[in-house]
Parts: sequence; structure tokens; C-alpha cells
Amino acid sequence: MLHVEDLRFIHPGQPLEYCFNFTGQAGEVTAISGASGSGKSTLLDLIAGFLEPRSGQIKLDGADLASLPPERRPISLLLQSESLFEHLSAGRNIALGLPPRTAKEIIRQKVDQALGEVGLSGVEHQIAATLSGGQKQRVALARTLLRDRPVLLLDEPFSALDDETRGTIRDLVGVLTRSHGWYTILVSHHADDVEQLAQRRYRLDEGRLELY
Amino acid sequence: MGGAGESHDIMAGRMLTLPHRPFRIAAAVALAVAITVLIALVLWAILAAATEASGTSRVDIPHLLRMTSIQAGLTTILSLAVGTALAWSLNRLRFPGRDLLVGLFASAIVTPGMVVAFGLLAIWGRNGWINQASNALFGVSIGNPAFGLSGILFAHVVLDAAFAARILLARLDAIPTNRLKTGQSLALTAWQRFALIDWPALRGSIPGIGAIIFLLAFTSFPIVLLLGGGPANQTLEVAIYAAVRQDFDLSGAVRLAATQIAVCSVVILIASALAPVPTSFGASASPLWRDSTAARMLQSLVLAIATLGFVAPLLSVLIDGFGSIGRVLAQPTFWWATVTSLAVGSASALLTLVLALALAMGRGATGNKPLRTLLGMPAFAYLAVPAVVLSLGFFLLVRSLGAAPAQAAPFVVIVANSLLALPFAIATLGPPLEAITRGRGKLMRSLGLSGWRQFRLVELPLIGRDLGVMLALAFCFSLGDLGVIALFGTQDLQTLPLMMFRAMGSYRNNDAGAIAAILLIGTVLAFAGLPKLFGKIADAAR
Repeated sequence: MLHVEDLRFIHPGQPLEYCFNFTGQAGEVTAISGASGSGKSTLLDLIAGFLEPRSGQIKLDGADLASLPPERRPISLLLQSESLFEHLSAGRNIALGLPPRTAKEIIRQKVDQALGEVGLSGVEHQIAATLSGGQKQRVALARTLLRDRPVLLLDEPFSALDDETRGTIRDLVGVLTRSHGWYTILVSHHADDVEQLAQRRYRLDEGRLELY
Repeated sequence: MGGAGESHDIMAGRMLTLPHRPFRIAAAVALAVAITVLIALVLWAILAAATEASGTSRVDIPHLLRMTSIQAGLTTILSLAVGTALAWSLNRLRFPGRDLLVGLFASAIVTPGMVVAFGLLAIWGRNGWINQASNALFGVSIGNPAFGLSGILFAHVVLDAAFAARILLARLDAIPTNRLKTGQSLALTAWQRFALIDWPALRGSIPGIGAIIFLLAFTSFPIVLLLGGGPANQTLEVAIYAAVRQDFDLSGAVRLAATQIAVCSVVILIASALAPVPTSFGASASPLWRDSTAARMLQSLVLAIATLGFVAPLLSVLIDGFGSIGRVLAQPTFWWATVTSLAVGSASALLTLVLALALAMGRGATGNKPLRTLLGMPAFAYLAVPAVVLSLGFFLLVRSLGAAPAQAAPFVVIVANSLLALPFAIATLGPPLEAITRGRGKLMRSLGLSGWRQFRLVELPLIGRDLGVMLALAFCFSLGDLGVIALFGTQDLQTLPLMMFRAMGSYRNNDAGAIAAILLIGTVLAFAGLPKLFGKIADAAR
């Protein structure tokens, strides 16, 4: 169980204090929606460790994450864009999900396997910059598979995709979340994405989350 | 993460998205402190000598200051005017070989001043092409316009206008397409287009470029030394050299150096408040909108004159130089000077690479403002303490430590040349490294990339070409340097520029011409080749 309890934060020079409370279940997608500037990304930054909260807890199965630096949190990120290093090949981007001194043969095997799982076999040598928007998100998801972190944070991950690709990638995220038992947190202002994908939905307003 | 404004505020305020790199920061701090201490020691040596100096010096500081300021002021005005006209012409015209010409103008920043000065003498000097033609055709001589203030200005404008043009061209090429479309749909005339679209894009850069050109002209050494034609046109920099090497007037040299540092510091304070000037450039944009025929004729004329002014001196160096290259190649001293130049150039380029990379990486790894200011300070070392002053300081420092200047010469020449190239190196590497850590910090941190993996997989492939540009700049600066080696050079430590200078001093102009040609070729090869080589190395790292 992922518990965010009384997680408080104030942006320097702004009066509003955010106070976040929510719960996520393994194998489920929790959606956070709200107007632009309402603090959705602030919440993800707090969970990922890019912002320090004033107080509060982030607990995963009882273990406190709030004291860990970003790189040690059991979290993967999927952003709207720039989830990949565009100058590297798809394979190298995916391999960044493995520990530094992994043997080459194992890297090749795992990358092939991950690419197969996201339905993108055969692109491992292609430079990321030459991939389509949908392919890039699949590659980022393949890397998430290899990282094997239980929490997946999605920040408007489908916004740059056309309708058809959007549906496909959205379905893929749902399937992977269920099959791997991830705690997926989706930030989106698209009602479609929230309705199709999320089992639990929160709206962010005036710095507070409301279940709806 | 999501909204751009929101995300920017967060990163600017807290910087938790920066990967944790304590080793990078520590290494950069150590180097910055070491450089600052070294510069402080050099300044201390100068000031201590100034305090001890007696009042018998014959140097006329007010006259030198006035002459240097007039020369630098005129150079700045002329270079900005010619540079703007040249950038305007290059932005509009498209023709075969344009990219080559743009690249040639970009190389002005590394073209050795003494090579240009020699080229001007070959064309406009007493025995130059113009006088020979004039004598043959009309039986009259035009005198020697390459000497004196006119020659100094001409040489400075050749180099500095090309430098200004390349930066201003980048500004013009960056004008948004939609703005051009709007202007074209309104049928603006060529003048309206310049006043309403071009000038607003250029004017922000003019003060910064002007300050740099003023500083370069104010501290110019080889051009004034070769073309000054006597004490009347001497500048502070050359007067320091003359006081040390010719008049043995150390107290005068120290006073001059203190004046030079004071003036340069004021100009730097002004310049640092103005817009930054990039040293590397992207590709030029394709044309969208052609001016009227009359405007295009004017642009063609400007381009032809500027090209002739820039290329002719360099061409004359090559043509005259190759005539006597065999004689020079047969001299063992030439080969020894070549080896010394290459060794000094390579060593100072590598030292610059290490210093600039460490400082830029350390600066990019921290969001702490005072620390970032500290790590940016070494970049100002050269600007505050120009070549001859730096050399004088080292000279005094080495002497006060009880060592013979000749023994310390190789070390001093390498370190001094490296410090001279450092501001340009940091300006080349700093922005792309900062952009990587700011733009990709979140991704790198969330993936837990180590510092080495960050460098090998992310930074090296993306800054490979910039590394090549930086190495080329540092190598070329060192290859063409006369300011440092002029004070520290000995019979055993002689570089190609010093050998060329000595050849001119003993009226062996043919030898000097051959060396100038070799220096020019070496500079062009390094400037064109190193960025390509490093670009390929970086591609291989992907």
C-alpha cells in the first residue's frame, strides 16, 4: 500500500500551503486531475524527491520514502517528453534501467525481452531522436520494466500523442501496471485518460486532494 | 514536471533535480582556489615590485593611456560598423562557397595577430604589392600606410570586424521566421527591414561585443609591436614589453602593468553587466526574403570589400611565404621551434581542457549562488590580467622565489597560455554542460546515474564537438601567442611566433613570411579539424 499522509509544501513566496493525502493500491492506477497550476506536478516532484516537503510521510508498505534521495526511491518516471536521452539508441536508453556493471549478454537479453513486452521489438539500435512519440513512450516503459521499481509516476505522458497512439499506450500502461503490481500515479488533465485508466481518482483543488 | 512555468520555478528555487556530484564540486572548488591564488600571487608580485620601485622611470603613462584608449576606441567603432554591415550582407546573400566564407570569418578569433600584421605589410608596406604595382605603373610610391595608427587600426578591424560579424550574423539568423513573414507581407523596404527587424535583434549584443573588442584592442600586443612604427603609437602592453626587454626599466613596467590592470578591470565590470557573447555558433538559416536589387548590390559590394580586406592579407602571407619555405625548412632551429610550439600548444590546450571541464562541470553541479560565482571567477583571469602583464607578474614571481626565469619558462608559458584561453574555453563548454544538467537533471537523478556514466553516456556525446572547438581555440591561441613568449623566450625556448619576430627584427623577412604561412596553415587546420575529430569521437560514444 502506498500512503501519502499530510505531505505539506509551500512554494517560496506563495501563500498557498499544499497538504496532500491519498492512498494507492498495488496493480492500480491512481489519477490526479486538476486545473493548470493547481499543484499536480508539485505532488509528483514531492513523491519523486525533487522537492523537500515541510512535513508529512510517504510510505510504501510501511517503509518511509521521504528521507531518501530521488535516486534511491523505488520510483520510475514517465514524462510528457524528455523521458529519453535522444542522442542514445533505444537499447542504450533501456539499458540505463539495469545496474552499471551488468554483463553485455544479459543486457542484450533483457533489452530484447523488455522491448518485446512493450511491443517494439527490433528498434534497439535506432537513435531515440528518430523514434515517433508513441515509440519513445514505449521505450521509456521498457526501461521502467528493467528498473523494476514498484512506483510509476506518469506526468501527462500521453499529451503529445495522437488519439490512436494515445489509446494504445494508455492500454499498455494499464496492462503493465496490473501484471507487475505497480503503484501507478497518473497526473493528467484529460478526462478521457483518467476515466479509461484509473481505478482511483482524485481532484486537486486549493492545495487539497478530493476523492471523486 | 508538467507546467513549464511551475517546473522552472521549482528548479530555480530548490535545485533538488541536480544530480548529487560532491566530487565534481570539490574538484572545481580546488582548481578555482588554486587559480585564484596563482593570479593573486602574480598580482602581489607586481604590486610589491611597484611599491619598491624608485621614481626614476621614464615611462609617460598619461600619453600611453591616451594613445591606447584612442586606438582601442577607434578600433571598436570601426569594427562594429564594418561587422554589422558584413553580418547584414551575409545574412541576405546566398552564393556558392558562402559557408566556407562564414567559417573563414569565424576563424578570425584564432588567427594570429602577427600573421595578419605581416600580411598587411606584404600588401601595403614599403615593398608591398601596392607599392610595387604603383611604382611599375606610375613611377610613384604611396609610402607606408601599414605602419602607424592607420596600420594598427586596419589590422585590428580585419580581425575584430570579422569576429563581430560572425556573432551578429548568428543573431540575425535567429530572427523568428514568423517575424520575417510578417515583415515580408507588409512589403517593408530594405531600410525598414533593417530598422524594424534586424536592429532590434542586434542592438542587445552590440554593447557586449563592443566591450570585448575594446578590451582586445586595448591589450593587443603583436599587431602594435609590428605595426606601431615607434613610440608615438605605442600602447601600454607594448610599453611594458619595451620597458622589460629593451630599457630594463622594471619599475616603469610595473607601473604600466598596474595601470593596465586598473583600466581592464573597469572595462570588465562594464562588460560583465552587458549581454554575454557566445563563442560557438549553429548553422545559418536559409533565406526567406530577398531585398531589392539596389540593396543586394550594396550587400554584394560590402561583402566583396570585407572579403578582400580579410582574405587578401592572409593570401599574401601564403603566396609570399611559400616562395621561401624551403630555406626555412632546412633550418634545424625551425624544426626545434615547431616542436616547441606544438608541445606548448598541446600542453596548454590539454591543461585548458582539464581546467575548463572541471570548472564548468562543478559549476553546473551546484545551485549555490556564491559557489557558482566563485567557480566562474577564473574565467576573468585573462581579461583582468592580459598576456604581457601576466608574463611580467610570473617573471617577477619566479625571480622573487629565487629561481632563474629561463628555468621556469616552459612551465610559465604553458600555464599562462592556458589561463589566457580559459575564459573562451569556459564560455564554450559552460552553457552546454549547464543545459544538460538543468534540462536532464531530473531524469539522470531518477535513474541514479553515476558521475562517470553521466559524463560518458550523456555529456561526452552531446559536448564532443564543443570539446573540439575548445581545444582548437586553446591550441590556436597558444600557437599564435607572442605576448607570453616574448618575455620568457630564450635561445633554448623559442616558438614559431618568436622565431618569426626575431627573423623580422634581423631583416630576414623571407624567413618571417615562410613562418607566418606555416602558422596560418597550422591555425586553420587545427581550427577546422579538431572540432570535426572530436565530433566523430563523440558520435562513437553514442
